[in-house]
Amino acid sequence: MTGPPIRAVLLVGSAKPEGASTSEALGRYLLDRLAAEGGSTQLFLVNHVRDERHMRELLAALAAADLFILCSPVYVDSLPSLVVRAFEQIASRRPSPASATRFVAVLNCGFPEARHCRAALEICRIFSRRAGLSWAGGLALGGGEIIHGTALDKAGPVARRVRQALDMTAAALRSGADVPDAAVKTIARPLVPTQMYTLLSNFGWRQKGRKNHVAGQLGATPFAPRS
Amino acid sequence: MQAVILNGARAGESPVDGVHETLARALKDRGWQATSLRLRDIPIAYCQGCFECWVKTPGLCKMADGGRDVARSMINADLAVLLTSITFGGYSSELKKALDRTICLVSPFFMRLGGEVYHRRRYAKYPALLGVGVLPEAAPEDERSFTTLVSRNAINFHAPLYASGVIYTNQTAEAAREYLDDLLEQVVA
Repeated sequence: MTGPPIRAVLLVGSAKPEGASTSEALGRYLLDRLAAEGGSTQLFLVNHVRDERHMRELLAALAAADLFILCSPVYVDSLPSLVVRAFEQIASRRPSPASATRFVAVLNCGFPEARHCRAALEICRIFSRRAGLSWAGGLALGGGEIIHGTALDKAGPVARRVRQALDMTAAALRSGADVPDAAVKTIARPLVPTQMYTLLSNFGWRQKGRKNHVAGQLGATPFAPRS
Repeated sequence: MQAVILNGARAGESPVDGVHETLARALKDRGWQATSLRLRDIPIAYCQGCFECWVKTPGLCKMADGGRDVARSMINADLAVLLTSITFGGYSSELKKALDRTICLVSPFFMRLGGEVYHRRRYAKYPALLGVGVLPEAAPEDERSFTTLVSRNAINFHAPLYASGVIYTNQTAEAAREYLDDLLEQVVA
């Protein structure tokens, strides 16, 4: 079942340059699916809405939107500071607090387990209420670094379950339903076995250290008191 | 004993500044040396998520600003206090801006602990963590979320002890002080 065309606004919560973040890749994929049968979409980058002109544009877009989507990384167990700042602005400046605009969060973290995103998802849910938005649910992805900003259509089999979950989510949102439990469970399953992810990540950090000529110093303690 | 208070009050959040003063007095009365950082007055750039503090300048953010001072103060303290108005169940943007810049205090390398993956220690010693949230009135959902967040931070920052609590702006100064004293008891080894 498909409802009327959706007007969706996406806020990308990563501070990385445009086209470089996993959050943006997730968001663009979801926007494309939502717009597949008509509707309109707008994308905002969180480091752009730091300035007043872009924040006003975001607020205006939200006033006309059916759906507000946050796609964001998780930093230090919660949302990046720029996203919190945007939330503070939105919650305090939205002209008509109670509206039919729905809010969805799609979060990703660098740990292999999606449950590291739970505290951040709860913050999104509480923000939704404070901003007068209608909470439509959230998705949490662990091991987001595997996607590494690649467009999901080009990310191959490793992102298959991510695409499935976002397809299910887009279909549900288009029909006026919330994020389905099946999508939550599908995207939360580790993209690769945890032990493999841990080994590959640790190998990757060493490789990057070698490339930067600091392989032997990755454990440096520059703030340790001098003896 | 050294403590650092990270005051995440945004402009106009005077009740948080009031709690800060009470907290600083409580620490002083216990003989602690407390460093107070009012974060909104300190230039701190937002974290760009580049991970260069892990793989290019290990342990040090490439941005030489107040974010480095926050990280240095935290890791050299016995107690770090995260003071904030509870914002959607979490930290204010001012506090979060500083905390995002402290990932340089842990190693990029992963380890498993209690069935979950975390970052390994970079330093031999980490401070105890005390989260103090300020709210105008009781808000159980927000308070639960705040408590969970502080506990997650304590695990990820290898805090040897942690506690969290909420001060309401309509509490008397005496009641707030008594409550803060109880919280401090929980994070003193």
